[in-house]
Amino acid sequence: MPLFGDLDVETIASNLPEMRDLDTEAWELPKAEILQLAVEVADGSRVLLPRALHPAIPEYVTFVVTRYSESPVGPFDLAQVRLMARAGVHPRGYVLGAVASTADAASALRERWGYPAVPGEIALRRYHDRVAASVRREGRAILELALVDPELVAGSDLQYIHGVTLARVEGAVQLIQVDPHYTLHTAARGRARVSHFDAAAWNGAAIRLTTPISASVSTSDTDLPRIRFVMDPETPVVRGTRKVR
Amino acid sequence: MKFGLFYELSVPRPWTRESERTVYDNALEQVKLADELGFDQVWAVEHHFLEEYSHCPAPELFLTACAMTTRRIRVGFGIVVCVPEFNHPIKIAERTAVLDILSGGRVEVGTGRSATWTELAGFNASPDITKKSWDEFVRCLPRMWTSDKFEFEGEFWSMPRRTILPKVYQRPHPPMWVAVTSPGTELDAADRGLGSLGLTFGQFAEQEKRIAEYRRRIQLCEPVGEFVNDQVSTVNFLYCHEDDAAGLKTGRQMANHFNYLAAQLMSVRETYPSKSYPSLGLLPQLRRQATGPEASEQAGEGLCLGGPERITRALKRWEACGVDRVNFLINTAETIPQADVLASLRLFAREVMPAFNGTKS
Repeated sequence: MPLFGDLDVETIASNLPEMRDLDTEAWELPKAEILQLAVEVADGSRVLLPRALHPAIPEYVTFVVTRYSESPVGPFDLAQVRLMARAGVHPRGYVLGAVASTADAASALRERWGYPAVPGEIALRRYHDRVAASVRREGRAILELALVDPELVAGSDLQYIHGVTLARVEGAVQLIQVDPHYTLHTAARGRARVSHFDAAAWNGAAIRLTTPISASVSTSDTDLPRIRFVMDPETPVVRGTRKVR
Repeated sequence: MKFGLFYELSVPRPWTRESERTVYDNALEQVKLADELGFDQVWAVEHHFLEEYSHCPAPELFLTACAMTTRRIRVGFGIVVCVPEFNHPIKIAERTAVLDILSGGRVEVGTGRSATWTELAGFNASPDITKKSWDEFVRCLPRMWTSDKFEFEGEFWSMPRRTILPKVYQRPHPPMWVAVTSPGTELDAADRGLGSLGLTFGQFAEQEKRIAEYRRRIQLCEPVGEFVNDQVSTVNFLYCHEDDAAGLKTGRQMANHFNYLAAQLMSVRETYPSKSYPSLGLLPQLRRQATGPEASEQAGEGLCLGGPERITRALKRWEACGVDRVNFLINTAETIPQADVLASLRLFAREVMPAFNGTKS
């Protein structure tokens, strides 16, 4: 069998988001702008990955910075760092850390989808030769990155991998599958450049970036959907998955 | 219809000093038996860095060992990766020729370009240009095998006038194939007069349509070699057992294990947006098929798992679809004990092969 994650969930259980329930209503999120970078990481990230999941080969992370121009809590930006993995046979991005640009958004994301979101400042800017993003918390930079030399591609060339969050819900720690839909209007790709990454600030102190893979940016109508599946973080997903609806 | 074996050489964890050797030894024993039983060919892939899924980076070495212990089974060198960072084309031509000589003219050559970020990035190769380099390679190889002197100036490699030695044993040269995972690649094969070496487990209707288009298209081809190889090969699982239910159960475990390991791979498309890789190829299908322990014990459509009658019916359907050859994966990560794998081969040869032309029991 492939390797599994090696996270002792108990060590982080007290800091996990507390969800209200699994009856989360969907949010429609039109006209979103999504910047995503993928970067390989050094061995050692398995200590951050729940035992239900397999690490990717090679191990890598994605940085996803999204500007939601409309939402039920108003416009907001969301930055995520995801450790990429497999849930059984399915690629998934395990959300290590998240920053939302408004307190309302951070609170809703924690309570409804289990994102480990905290408030912070996010900037997403387009230049002629790059698309750059930065994230600050409590007065200091914790992430600075860019897609460099964008070139247009077809929307069908991009693949967005569903996320999983780790949260307390219904009296237990569970993995929550978050699987948005995307209708892409524009898409571009480029080189990935991360100029600053404070791994510990994203609950990923063991992460050490190595080889940039790719970067993409798109405009898309998307959503945060109702929760369909939850998983026991300690059991391989082929046995530990529960269908919610 | 002809039958062959197809090796990824998967090695399950935990890896011990002997585990890789055991996998290779078992495979060699299987090939030796397959040769005696009348199987027509054995293929070995080229893969790198694909933990557990494939520990087969040097197929020509494995195939040399196969050739040395067999008398008539053909040896399929491939998929050899036609990307310059992986293999220089001169080396491909030379290694093919040596294997062809040592095997007494039993080589077939399968060409491809890799579909995983794991491998391409491992060699620092750009996914954007692999199709173009593959095209350049397949046009050069036959000329390198057949020309007294060869020189070339291309986009991806060049060489001054030299004599490439040795020459292949077969005349004019070994049959050439293209690995087909993504829909449409079979047309690239047809346009160049190359055999379609299917690596997906696709369903009858879809495959029949693609084969028909391949047959139509290859009539109009401009062959890159000295002759047209218009054969269609596909891959399948094989586990044959007297008890149909037992065969299905064990075979399904093997297939699920293979699919599970394959799904761990990091395809180019998963993370690197590129027109060069418009589909995930093999992986989405495997992810659908790998359904875990709750799956029913029914074989998937067209899979050769179960009793001889069921397998014969499946192969008759493939034959009717236009498939000329079927290459079998007969084990994955040592899921099935070696003695049972050998028994499956013997039963298949005794009960199934006689129902098809061109093979002997």
